[in-house]
Amino acid sequence: MKRCETAELDWNPNGNCPLRPNSSPRIPPLPPPFPPPLPFLRLLRCFSLSNLPTAALSSLAPRATMAASGVKMQEVKDITRIERIGAHSHIRGLGLDDSLEARMVSQGMVGQANARKAAGIILSMIKEGDIAGRAILIAGQPGTGKTAIAMGMAQALGSDTPFTTIAASEIFSLEMNKTEALTQAFRRSIGVRIKEETEIIEGEVVEIEIDRPAAGAPAGGKTGKLTLKTTEMETVYDLGQKMIDSLTKEKAQAGDVITIDKATGRISVLGRSFTRSRDYDAMGANTKFVQCPEGELQKRKEVVHVVSLHEVDVINSRQQGFLALFAGDTGEIKPEVREQIDTKVAEWREEGKAEIVPGVLFIDEVHMLDIECFSYLNRALESDLAPVLIVATNRGITRIRGTNYKSPHGIPIDLLDRLLIISTVPYTEKEIKQILHIRCEEEDVEMSEDALALLTKIGVETSLRYSIHLIIAAALVCAKRKGVEVEVEDIKKVYTLFVDVKRSTQFLMEYQSEFMFSEIQDQDADMTDTRV
Amino acid sequence: MAGAMPEGTKVSKMTSGTRRKVHYTLPDDSELVEEFDLQTDELLVRKRRAKTVLGKDGEWVFEVGEPPARVTIEGDLLRPSSSNPILVRKDRPHAFEWRVRNLPYPKANYSVSVDPNEQQLVIRTANKKYFKRITIEDMQRAHLSLEESALSWSHENNTLIVCYKKPEQILKMEKEAKAMRLNATEAVAEDTTPPDCKQQ
Repeated sequence: MKRCETAELDWNPNGNCPLRPNSSPRIPPLPPPFPPPLPFLRLLRCFSLSNLPTAALSSLAPRATMAASGVKMQEVKDITRIERIGAHSHIRGLGLDDSLEARMVSQGMVGQANARKAAGIILSMIKEGDIAGRAILIAGQPGTGKTAIAMGMAQALGSDTPFTTIAASEIFSLEMNKTEALTQAFRRSIGVRIKEETEIIEGEVVEIEIDRPAAGAPAGGKTGKLTLKTTEMETVYDLGQKMIDSLTKEKAQAGDVITIDKATGRISVLGRSFTRSRDYDAMGANTKFVQCPEGELQKRKEVVHVVSLHEVDVINSRQQGFLALFAGDTGEIKPEVREQIDTKVAEWREEGKAEIVPGVLFIDEVHMLDIECFSYLNRALESDLAPVLIVATNRGITRIRGTNYKSPHGIPIDLLDRLLIISTVPYTEKEIKQILHIRCEEEDVEMSEDALALLTKIGVETSLRYSIHLIIAAALVCAKRKGVEVEVEDIKKVYTLFVDVKRSTQFLMEYQSEFMFSEIQDQDADMTDTRV
Repeated sequence: MAGAMPEGTKVSKMTSGTRRKVHYTLPDDSELVEEFDLQTDELLVRKRRAKTVLGKDGEWVFEVGEPPARVTIEGDLLRPSSSNPILVRKDRPHAFEWRVRNLPYPKANYSVSVDPNEQQLVIRTANKKYFKRITIEDMQRAHLSLEESALSWSHENNTLIVCYKKPEQILKMEKEAKAMRLNATEAVAEDTTPPDCKQQ
């Protein structure tokens, strides 16, 4: 800690701030300052003239950071690499109460009460699982929370219901037919709940020993040993890198009773062994005590799990025998294999061995699909094994890709007729403030009330996404001047450093003639694919 | 062995190196492979595998003999350390024999018994280092029950050796199976054209 305070705090061009060593992977390096052209200054003056309260005095106390030894740091880094902060990682559900009414602010969702209520109704339809092949369109302007609503639905459904998210442009590939890619996406979204026998290792951890490679060795070279015991026996296992990572992630330690799925390597901690109940005076409230397992360490157990139809397809379309060695990618799957699987699954259902778990297929930016895909969707939705389809688009009346016809949302009328449409509306100022507040918490940034108000104003005038992106940039500027919380001056600074779309467009319009190729003023030079 | 197979089992045989290999495909798509020494006709390996519910090939389960000690890519997860005790079944003309290697403890540490309820042999250690329940598949297939009197064991060179004397019925069955195996000529393809192997 002491060392941190006295350390050179000058900005390091690699983006590594010495005060926050662990967060360095997710911080983009700041580009060199860009002299703001005239229009920017004009806009800035608008802000300073508005009736915003002046910035409070910034405290000079250094930001409290974790003092970590080199060994500890390595460990933390390994885990943070897995859990980065994404654009929608603050969303934990749809934020509805039991009667499907939208709470104002809940589970990371703000506003959009009508759209969320509608999504909640669709959600209860999916959960019941009786109705196949319904389709929902979420339409709205950019940055109004369409993807957020879809993510919220996925979170609310839980991990057992298959939820496949694709962007429409993903299906265009030279290696795979468009409709094949869509079929695979459809079949990924239908689960089969089935009992399978798997081999598990169940025992009490006696010792975990992890050898750290010498400094400079590649990070993948970690090895370790795990000793497990039952009441009757004890076995030592050699661990691979993956296993060490998941043991660290599950925080397994000596005295815990754990199970390891031998095929997948999944570790789950069942609780602490009774024999260790007197190790500490104080225990966490949710510490569970279990008996040390008996008999042999390796057991065969029946496990119920959900696999998607696509996974079953892949298993059964693999080359048999020695040819399997050369089969890498699965590529396209023969329709005969799919038919076989469908009849097999129907048999299992009749015998009560398996049940179907219908899921959701979410296609973002659906206007990027072309007319062939749309007509395929029409047909695919009629199958009784179809999942619930959710599509989202931010287009108004536009050309259907692959034709010269124009249609609302770029979707043909016959498909539109099969869709229930949920529309999202732009956020109000109050809602923007709430969202920015939530994002500040998610990104672990402390912000003063004034700075948040300014950021909200920026959000209203420009866009929500732009102001969200300014949060972490402002936090870095704040850390550089050793501030505790982000103040108005930090926001002002990043506002001048990073240009939003409106200012950039304005700048381009004024200085268009000085850019490359501006002398060509050809009417046909636009980049649309009208020739198709 | 061959006599006990269910109806509809496909058999193919081949000789490779010093081993005669017999491959059975059972009507439920599970497979069984037996390997015999060419000179002594000793059963070296008997392994089974079945398809999983979803149609994937399962792992080979070794009844007799031990799996090849190969480092595979899947081994990235975890594997028992090589210092652990290893159990291998060997086939003797008059007895089933199991060898547990890497057991350095004195003889007084072990106890081997028959569990009459589960019809299994049970190996225990007083210091709680090793424990194993052994099912004798041959006896189960012939519906014979285990007798404590047929069991014997010894410990030498860090190895625990457990023997179970084969009863009369098993010896008789093995004799018949051997006669069948030796009489049947190795399957030779009727037409001499080589199988359709594409060159690259």
